[in-house]
Amino acid sequence: MYEFEMTRPTTIADAAKALGDEDAQALGGGQTLIPTLKQRLAMPSALVSLGAIPEMKGVCMSDAGEVCVGGATPHAVVAAEATAYPGLAGLAAHIGDPAVRNRGTVGGSLANNDPSACYPAAALASGATIVTNTREIAADDYFQGMFSTALEDGEIITEVRFPVPEVSHYEKFVQPASRFALVGVMVAKFADGVRVAVTGASEDGVYRWTEAEAALSASFSADALADLAVSGDGMISDLHGSGDYRAHLVKVMTGRAVAKAA
Amino acid sequence: MEKFGKSQSVKRVEDIRFLTGHGRYVDDIAPDGALRAYVLRSTIAHGVIEALDVADARAADGVHMVLTLGDLEAAGVGVALQATVVTNRDGTKGAEPERPLLARDRVRFVGEPVAFIVADTLAQARDAAEMIELEIADLEAHVVVEPGGEMLHAEAPDNLAFDFGLGDEDAVTAALDTAAHVIKVPVDDNRVIVNSMEPRGCYAEPEGADRLHVSVNGQGVWGTRDKVAAMLGLDKAQVRATNPDVGGGFGMKAMDYPETLLTAYAARALGRAVAWMSDRSEAMQSDNAGRDLNSVATLGFDADHRLVAYRVDTIANMGAYNSEYAQPIQTELFSKVLPGVYDLQAVYMRTRGVYTNTTQVDAYRGAGRPEAIFVLERAMDAAAREMGVDPFELRRINFIRPDQFPYTSATGQPYDVGDFDRVLTRVMAEAKVAGFEERRDEAAARGKLRGLGLCYYIESILGDPAETARVDFEEDGRVAIYVGTQSNGQGHETVFAQFLADHTGIPADRIRVVQGDSDLIAKGGGTGGSRSVTVQNTATLATVAAMVEGFTAFLADAEGVPASDVGFDDERFRIAGSNLTPTMLEVADMARAAGRDDLLSVSKRTKLDNRSFPNGAHVAEVEIDPETGVVTVERYTVIDDFGNLINPMLAEGQVHGGVVQGLGQALTERVVYDEDGQLLTASFMDYGMPRADDVPMMYFDTEATPSLYNPMGMKGCGEAGTVGALAAVTNAVQDAVWSRGIREVQMPFTPHRVWQMLRQAAA
Ligand SMILES: Cc1cc2nc3c(=O)[nH]c(=O)nc-3n(C[C@H](O)[C@H](O)[C@H](O)COP(=O)(O)OP(=O)(O)OC[C@H]3O[C@@H](n4cnc5c(N)ncnc54)[C@H](O)[C@@H]3O)c2cc1C
Repeated sequence: MYEFEMTRPTTIADAAKALGDEDAQALGGGQTLIPTLKQRLAMPSALVSLGAIPEMKGVCMSDAGEVCVGGATPHAVVAAEATAYPGLAGLAAHIGDPAVRNRGTVGGSLANNDPSACYPAAALASGATIVTNTREIAADDYFQGMFSTALEDGEIITEVRFPVPEVSHYEKFVQPASRFALVGVMVAKFADGVRVAVTGASEDGVYRWTEAEAALSASFSADALADLAVSGDGMISDLHGSGDYRAHLVKVMTGRAVAKAA
Repeated sequence: MEKFGKSQSVKRVEDIRFLTGHGRYVDDIAPDGALRAYVLRSTIAHGVIEALDVADARAADGVHMVLTLGDLEAAGVGVALQATVVTNRDGTKGAEPERPLLARDRVRFVGEPVAFIVADTLAQARDAAEMIELEIADLEAHVVVEPGGEMLHAEAPDNLAFDFGLGDEDAVTAALDTAAHVIKVPVDDNRVIVNSMEPRGCYAEPEGADRLHVSVNGQGVWGTRDKVAAMLGLDKAQVRATNPDVGGGFGMKAMDYPETLLTAYAARALGRAVAWMSDRSEAMQSDNAGRDLNSVATLGFDADHRLVAYRVDTIANMGAYNSEYAQPIQTELFSKVLPGVYDLQAVYMRTRGVYTNTTQVDAYRGAGRPEAIFVLERAMDAAAREMGVDPFELRRINFIRPDQFPYTSATGQPYDVGDFDRVLTRVMAEAKVAGFEERRDEAAARGKLRGLGLCYYIESILGDPAETARVDFEEDGRVAIYVGTQSNGQGHETVFAQFLADHTGIPADRIRVVQGDSDLIAKGGGTGGSRSVTVQNTATLATVAAMVEGFTAFLADAEGVPASDVGFDDERFRIAGSNLTPTMLEVADMARAAGRDDLLSVSKRTKLDNRSFPNGAHVAEVEIDPETGVVTVERYTVIDDFGNLINPMLAEGQVHGGVVQGLGQALTERVVYDEDGQLLTASFMDYGMPRADDVPMMYFDTEATPSLYNPMGMKGCGEAGTVGALAAVTNAVQDAVWSRGIREVQMPFTPHRVWQMLRQAAA
């Protein structure tokens, strides 16, 4: 770790101001950033902790019936409190281990957009709105490839609004060592159709599997996927799984998610 | 059993300390103000050092010292680590290339120490390391575990470290030629990274005028003391080595490493305390690795399925250098249990060691014996399938029968006792083997492949057969027992104190176990080879006998009776015709009052003529999800013959831990080097340690046939779990996929590998 300054603002405005400094970086739960710093792979001059900003914490229902999660809310709180959206709570409950869930935040996860992270699948499958200190971004516009998002430098995710599907489920096939998603599929059935988001698999990061969405919108059953083929082209291939394996798992996990959707 | 050890599951007294953060691990107790050391390591697997300039680093803030190999040589200290070598088949010695403490001209693996930086703080040392100019011209990396490839050492043409053979090759060839059935099985034993919970670390500090204290989280202090003394040109008496609490060793910490010696040198040269602690990825790159060998087993049977010959050909990875005890492991130690529990005299093994551009490989829990049993039990399983014989039955008809003991094995091991049939019968009952087909059908109905696998193992206990125990009665009424073994977390403090308590009546909470200090204990064997409790308690028994003898004479004298009128019943001394029944502590007080200090410190050294041969059966039952390749262990049953147990709970704990290490190697632990020799699994993000939810509840019990070779009738149990698990799980996986036409399975059974195996079979 190199040396850095650390501030703990208590309002979004102060945090945004502090992040205006060159080389300042937001600190959520630190579950990605701190290991990166320890390995000396990053050297921000200042860390702006978002953990002391009350308006960025907690889970509530919007008037429009969305589950709203503060950007600095840890996964464990979502797991416990997002009861109105069991698919989302279940996803949060299976991220990492208790220590990770008590510190890691939804804002940090979405800002980082790790290709193996779970929350991006929830945001995309729900058609969530990512709210920042300056604007609102639709999930469909937000994810721009591995570790890449629509966020500008210094922009803070203050809240995420998740529309609540009729039924949903996130099926995660864990990478055996890290237990991140080797392939994770979130299936969300809304009145106007089914959304299917896949994480862990593609070299382009989280994506919507539109063929499956069409098939499942017509008939919401695992059998509806039978004729669909997933290609290994463009899939991540590493020591834990080839592209073909991931492609195969996308279909298997989607089927299982449908079967378990509640 | 009554007399020797009361076989109680006493709870571990040290756990309070460990679980409440009061453990004294090396990094907790490094002296205040100790300088911090950091090792600059090679990031290239094979290359020639073209430039190494440390001038800027030396001038950096807070830096006290930067060492390269040249600096050590200029200082005139020893720069090479020594290693034991084996004798080749042609009578020559195995290769002995130099293993320098810091790279000499070349680097040979990623993680090899190149420079050693000492600064006020770790951050400063790391900053300075970034200022070191290191240029390396890449050479081709040799990573596959085969002879040939780019040469690492001029002393080892073809990268061959040794070519070892043992047994009667001609007899084996002849027997195989005429055997009714010959089965040939390739068996890969994957590399593992040891991953002790506490990584390696040490500190060194000048002590007094001309002494040096080196504290390291090792498995015994005397070897470290001797090496530090030799390197620095000191008298052994000038070096004190200690091992504080140690968070797991598994053989990996039994050997000395460059960092310990460099830390000792730096402390001496600077006249200040210096501390070094490995981080996790550093550990993964620089700790001795385990296993990593590929074998081909050939078994010959007669028409009645009785074994007539066994041959195994192995290539073992040494990594880039000879580690301290690397060469003997897949050779001499492997040979100890080569024919296992079978009545078979025609055996031959050949092992070639090869150097590769990977981290050095050395002992890992079981060191050679798990490897040998894994090959044999895989081969027995394959033979049973090929000959169409029940795998349990094939073992049974080939067992050495109880009436054949004492039995000298084909590799010269003096097996004293054993009742393998009884153990096998019991494990079949507990594992509910009879109901397996029903469970398999039920799994199939759920779309799962279920398999059952057996391993019958035998272990040969190793390590120093001699040990000393000293018991001191201290002024405050407490008793100290000085032991030459070294706990790495196994619970020795509890066992050794309890054992002494059982034999002397001294309350266990009055007994302090002292270990791991070369100033306080002259000699000892440390921990390793499942030796500790057997050798230590044997010495304790002898010491207690001497204590009783001394006190008896003293009491007889004091009471004016013949010594034959004084007896000791493990609790109190009793004197014929007297109401006096003093406890041992009371007699010690009387002796102290009488000025008989000679009775208050008693020491005995004992040596066992023979080791013990623990054995047992493991049955694993696995399920495979063919859609994903995920393997789960559904049932696991162990019946062991550990002879008499001193503390059954701790013995079971050793089995649990050993089995989990075996399951880890079989299912999740996979080391991957790419073709350039980069370690791709250098953190827990990519290296899969087994976790609690990977492990089923295990059934464990024993069927004891006490050993005749030690007074307690016990057998070592520290490594046994690992020995049994590998083949049990692999055989179960083979059983599960047999119906899919798969005839060869190789660890580790990660989901992707299993899925690929199933897919290829389907294609
Ligand atoms: C052992 C382990 C296991 C894990 N397993 C999983 C898993 O199974 N699934 C999974 O999805 N994740 C997993 N994670 C990741 C974890 O869940 C965190 O979500 C993730 O590390 C990022 O969240 P954080 O709050 O810790 O962010 P930090 O590490 O603090 O920050 C990450 C990045 O986001 C930026 N940032 C943080 N907060 C905000 C914000 N509100 N607005 C804008 N930018 C911000 C930071 O500047 C930084 O660039 C695991 C992590 C660990 C250590």
